[in-house]
Amino acid sequence: MNEITAGPDQQSSPAGTSGTLRTGERPAAVRTDNLWKVFEHDDIRVEAVRGVTFRIDPGEFVVLAGPSGSGKTTLLNLIGGLTRPTDGQVWVDGREIGSLPDRELAEIRLERVGFVFQAYNLLPVLTALENAEFTLLLRGVPSAERRIRVEKLFEQIGIAGLEDRLPGKLSGGQQQRVAVARAVVGEPALVLADEPTANLDTATSASLIDLMSELNRELGTTFVFATHDPMLMERARRNVQLVDGSIVADERRD
Amino acid sequence: MSSSLRLQMRLAVRNLIRQRRRTLLSGAAMVVGMALLVFSRALAEGGHEDWIDAGVRLGSGHVSIQAPEYRRQRTLEHRLTNDDRLAVDAGLAEPGVAQRLVAEAPRLAVQGLASSASSALPVGVTGVDPTAEQGFSLLPERLEAGRYLEPDDRLHAYVGARLAERLDLEPGDRFVLTAQDASGEIVGQMARVVGTFRTGIPEADEALIQIPLRTAQEWLGVPGAVTSIDLLLESSRAVRPVLASLETALGEGSSTVVPLDWREAQPELDAAVRMDDWADYVFHTILFGIAALAIINTILMSVMQRTREFGVLRALGLRRAEVGRLVFTEGMLLTIVSGLTGMLLGLAVVWLFFRDGLDFSSLMREEMTAAGVVIDPVIVPRFHPTQIAQSLFFILSIGILASIYPAWRATRIDVAEAMKFAE
Repeated sequence: MNEITAGPDQQSSPAGTSGTLRTGERPAAVRTDNLWKVFEHDDIRVEAVRGVTFRIDPGEFVVLAGPSGSGKTTLLNLIGGLTRPTDGQVWVDGREIGSLPDRELAEIRLERVGFVFQAYNLLPVLTALENAEFTLLLRGVPSAERRIRVEKLFEQIGIAGLEDRLPGKLSGGQQQRVAVARAVVGEPALVLADEPTANLDTATSASLIDLMSELNRELGTTFVFATHDPMLMERARRNVQLVDGSIVADERRD
Repeated sequence: MSSSLRLQMRLAVRNLIRQRRRTLLSGAAMVVGMALLVFSRALAEGGHEDWIDAGVRLGSGHVSIQAPEYRRQRTLEHRLTNDDRLAVDAGLAEPGVAQRLVAEAPRLAVQGLASSASSALPVGVTGVDPTAEQGFSLLPERLEAGRYLEPDDRLHAYVGARLAERLDLEPGDRFVLTAQDASGEIVGQMARVVGTFRTGIPEADEALIQIPLRTAQEWLGVPGAVTSIDLLLESSRAVRPVLASLETALGEGSSTVVPLDWREAQPELDAAVRMDDWADYVFHTILFGIAALAIINTILMSVMQRTREFGVLRALGLRRAEVGRLVFTEGMLLTIVSGLTGMLLGLAVVWLFFRDGLDFSSLMREEMTAAGVVIDPVIVPRFHPTQIAQSLFFILSIGILASIYPAWRATRIDVAEAMKFAE
């Protein structure tokens, strides 16, 4: 499917007063302004995300919920810089990323964003420890420090002792914990998780949600989930409902 | 090595091991291709060297020192005098020449007529030093009847077997040689057949006669003179440095003496070797193509199957170029490891056949000749250090050619689309 990407005039359009950052104000973890993503294929036009404007503050634990095809994953991909908006703007940790060149976008993903995927997506040829330390290694963190940080995190999330196992020798729950470790070990501003519990049984899902909630509280990491999972929606402190690419409800719970 | 490079190497090695069967199959194609390439290069080198060796030993050597005009007008007018020979001797004593010189043969050649009681036929007569010829020419080894010339022989002749048959001569029989001497007079010389030779080459067997050099000089009225001083070197590769040393020693563009290499002196042999070289290049290009296709197939398949994985790498913060480099590293690694293994295997096979050579006589129904040379059915492979450099160049070229496209494909992967890809 072909994507329609923004033209130069669209990319440079002002964010609007609602999106303007005032001096001294703490930047939003995520902010979007009239964000659009349109796919076209064989003359069929699909508006996956339609004019979404919202803000996620640092430390939030947010769920993007909605039926299949509602645009949750596409919105998550736009926030994570995995795809470019057709129109509108998206800021991550105070930086507009929609029009950044590839190289800088890769840097933002490496430094500021952690990803957790539905299918775990660990690198099959690396051990659990090597997978978890991957982003630290790319950032040039020394080997000894990497090992200390990963081992401490593995202890914290209950997978200590599995450091040298390859992903194929781990259960689904263990793999997803390694994926969470990989996402948070670099202490990013934001962790984006796409259906992280979809392939797990109820008990494992509950334990993983506990883990992420704990990391959110302890490290202050912002978590944004795209999910159908009622258990995860129940635990979120904010629930953003999407239908046909638009936000139809935004509920906060203390 | 930076940690990022170490990571790339680690990923490349483990990905190759992960797809063990595919890696082994493509690696095997490269190993066999490279081993074949090395061995066939060594065989071609050995075959050519044998061919050239046989050609120059039946002809005028690797280098023939002559008067400048002798190549165009083969008359006694263009001969080397005693003074010329002294200058040549000084040149041959140069270290650059002496180290590579196996034998030298002074020769005095004329066209003439051989007459017996039954017939008269045109012949080429060469006055030779029998001792020098023993270590140089193939003719003494091709004796059919009688014996070869000896240093004390005076009026003896070593005659091509077919010529002897046509003149109805046998060892011990006498015949008359007639030729133009240095002053243009027709002069005759009686000679006795001391032996006959058969090379398998019609031009030699039907028309060549050797007589002692001193007899020829006296007969033709040119005491001490020769028409060429032919040099046999350790190999054809020695020709270039020897020519350079000789030209320096004799004075570049010398008006009285000129050294010619075998390519100039025997253009037919040169053309045949060059044609054979081209056939080898075609064969090697096909081998090169097969090896490159095997590697490109493996790496490209690997890229297609790992689309999602590359998407993950990009999502985690790897740049396009880094993903491309990862794939390139895998391709180069596979090519270099299997290529070097193939090269070593090829060298081992060369070494195995180095002493005895490969006997192709069962494939040749009768003696094969080409460009005036009888092809020896036993070919001894020869390996020259430059072939290692050529092989390494081949390996690197295949690696780069076979890895660059898959690497480019990997950089083009759309991250969001790749995440949807089912492995």
